[in-house]
Amino acid sequence: MTNQELWQAVLAQIQLNISQANFATWFKNTEISHQKEGRILVLVPNSFVKEWLQNKYNKNIFKILHDLDCNIREVEYQIGKAKIEPKKEEMIMPETDQLEFQEFKVNKDTNLNPRYTFDTFVVGPFNELPHAAAVAVSKKPGIVYNPLFIYGGVGLGKTHLIQSIGNEIDSAFKKNKVRYISSEKFTSEVVSSIKNQTIEQFKAKYRDIDTLIIDDVQFLAGREKTQEEFFHVFNILYEKNKQIILSSDRPPRAINSLTERLRSRFEGGMIADVSAPDLETRMAILKTKAQEKGVEFGEEIYQYIASVIKNNIRELEGALNRLVIYENLNHKKPDMEATQTLFKNILSSQNRVVTPRKIIQVVADFYDLKEREILNASRKKEIVRPRQIAMFLLRQELKSSFPSIGRKFDGKDHTTAIHSYKKILREVETDKKLEEEIVLIKEQILAS
Amino acid sequence: MKFQILQEKLKEGLSIIERVVSRSLTLPILNNVLIEAGKNFLCLSSTDLEIGIKWWALTKTEKEGSITVPSKLLSGFVGLLPNKKIEAGALKNDFFSIECEECKTKIKGLSAEEFPLIPKVSKEEFISVKSSEFCRNLAQIADIPALSATRPEISGIYFSFQKNQIISASTDSFRLGEKKMTPLKSSLLSPKTLIVPQKTIKEVINIFGIKETELKIYFSPNQIMFESLMQETDHPEVQLVSRLIEGSYPNYQEIIPKKFTTKLILNKEEFLAQLKQASLFSSKTGEIKLKREDSRVEILSQNTELGEHESFIYSKIEGEKFEISFNHRFLSDGISKTKSEDISLELNGDSGPGVVRSPGDDSYTYVVMPIKGN
Repeated sequence: MTNQELWQAVLAQIQLNISQANFATWFKNTEISHQKEGRILVLVPNSFVKEWLQNKYNKNIFKILHDLDCNIREVEYQIGKAKIEPKKEEMIMPETDQLEFQEFKVNKDTNLNPRYTFDTFVVGPFNELPHAAAVAVSKKPGIVYNPLFIYGGVGLGKTHLIQSIGNEIDSAFKKNKVRYISSEKFTSEVVSSIKNQTIEQFKAKYRDIDTLIIDDVQFLAGREKTQEEFFHVFNILYEKNKQIILSSDRPPRAINSLTERLRSRFEGGMIADVSAPDLETRMAILKTKAQEKGVEFGEEIYQYIASVIKNNIRELEGALNRLVIYENLNHKKPDMEATQTLFKNILSSQNRVVTPRKIIQVVADFYDLKEREILNASRKKEIVRPRQIAMFLLRQELKSSFPSIGRKFDGKDHTTAIHSYKKILREVETDKKLEEEIVLIKEQILAS
Repeated sequence: MKFQILQEKLKEGLSIIERVVSRSLTLPILNNVLIEAGKNFLCLSSTDLEIGIKWWALTKTEKEGSITVPSKLLSGFVGLLPNKKIEAGALKNDFFSIECEECKTKIKGLSAEEFPLIPKVSKEEFISVKSSEFCRNLAQIADIPALSATRPEISGIYFSFQKNQIISASTDSFRLGEKKMTPLKSSLLSPKTLIVPQKTIKEVINIFGIKETELKIYFSPNQIMFESLMQETDHPEVQLVSRLIEGSYPNYQEIIPKKFTTKLILNKEEFLAQLKQASLFSSKTGEIKLKREDSRVEILSQNTELGEHESFIYSKIEGEKFEISFNHRFLSDGISKTKSEDISLELNGDSGPGVVRSPGDDSYTYVVMPIKGN
């Protein structure tokens, strides 16, 4: 007989002997945790129950158990972890700008922010796949998609999604140890454990995690020792069927200086990308956020904001905050005209930051080259391609003239610039990988 | 069971143990008080299965025994009796009889057999404090926690009992109070950190706050016990046993800023009065604004429906210019709990935590987060 069956048998008999009220009070949330050599350990929720069972019902309980299994010689009671009562509805506070202690928002054991849940995640065609994968993983951690790799641009909800998985797993599977960590933090843990010679403790800590969530893995690029440690952790967890969830701003193969063995492992599970939301979804997001904040604006205002802010959900939220502040300051809802002036500044400043230098810098970073190498006349294949992309972007984004582009690259002829531009333009149409790379580079140019 | 006791004494005991009697529908006996007549002592107990209270008084017992009686009814009735000797006892069929001067009463009770057992707490290690002073200190931070189903650990009050120091802290995630105290005596073998439910601390303040005696605190893994002794003899007078909250308290020390950008020294009463004025005109979120105007602090509040208010208060100001918004209640709560004539308010920019202290006294610290400035 299992522990559960045994205890059920006890409960069934006990309830005949005592009043319903007593039964409900003293036997709720009790269970047999284990038995060994005739000793039974009963878990009880608090000291009152322990005292009561020990002093009042012990004889009864022991007799029933002994009748069921004559090997049982002793019953002990121990205060176990109290079952969490069904959560009461939290009082919904009107959203204000009252600041909180940041340290408290984060769950200390899992490092997750409990605010991120699937309920508050707006699903649209652009993120259907990662959302579905995330939900599937949260239902069967370690079994369906392992590892789950989610990538996409800045401010599109990757962190929200992977933290939601963590929160869901944490609440649904009590015994599942979830840990969320950013790759920056992971790196610094590796560094400090090397310095303090505590690498063993470090490994042990990650070894008993059941769900490991690492955010922004692209920052592991170029950090070889960290990658090596991560590789070991990954293997240990993967072998034991522990869930691993990763996020990045680009697909694994576009992360430079990532060792081949890690890359192939990242690609071994499920890869899903979060792209930019379409207009309708952006409007839906705005409305959801407005509702959360308890404000409301005209339909055409939402439409305007959704049409000017295209690539970043976080910015949508920021835009909404601006409107709320405007309303508070001027004591009236912003009309279309006011909205347009409000956003003129942000929009123009967004464009202003793109300079030829920036483009070259980002391209060089992206392909892990030195700026100098791109600008030189080297004909090495791994440099020629990035240089062509840089030229292409200079033309496309800044409308620079071909001669001026040529001059920037160590006085190359304008025909070289034309050739590069056309070549990339042509290849983008056929080469999916190149297209993706260029989208990512553009995003970084705008984001940085 | 049969015993004699003065009405006044019985009334006192009932008023103490009545505090935790719960109106329980599932277990009606929790509405009752357990009356036990022992050799020389009468003991009253009550519990709501989270807190248990026991109270003792010297009595003349003619016959030992025990019974439980509805607590509200008994205390209501005893309150109406004259301050004379009461003769009380148990009759057949769980009736409790009271005789006092001309009246004779029978109250229907329940058998003592059914009454929950209040858990025992080991007396191996203890720490003791001066009762009234300890309660006054706790009152400085006892109102801060907010009931939270998602974060049960911060719904209680954090304690760290060390050999020479007691540190208590509480927070509702918008503000945080910390109070340090010194124990009278201590037999602690190791430091104890634990989280006590807010309700328990409030009851401790209510029950032990008026006593000038020594208050002893005992520990067991899941329980804490507060005990005061009788003045006449070395026997416990009141014992309060409570469950503890499981979980680990956030590392709150990180929240208390070590530096400040501006420091103000203000007259407490004057500042509180002005905050109160301003609060009437604060917005729905309770926002009031503080701003530096030369050597004065300007207090501003604005409500679209009610109007506007501004006032000035002279202050010693050290550091940068500032403009910061607070929830007036959060700010005045912390300030009103200080025990000095002047208070210091340290600010850390318009979105960093503000710190309230009594100048020259570092036992009390109150940290409050501002409202995000527009």
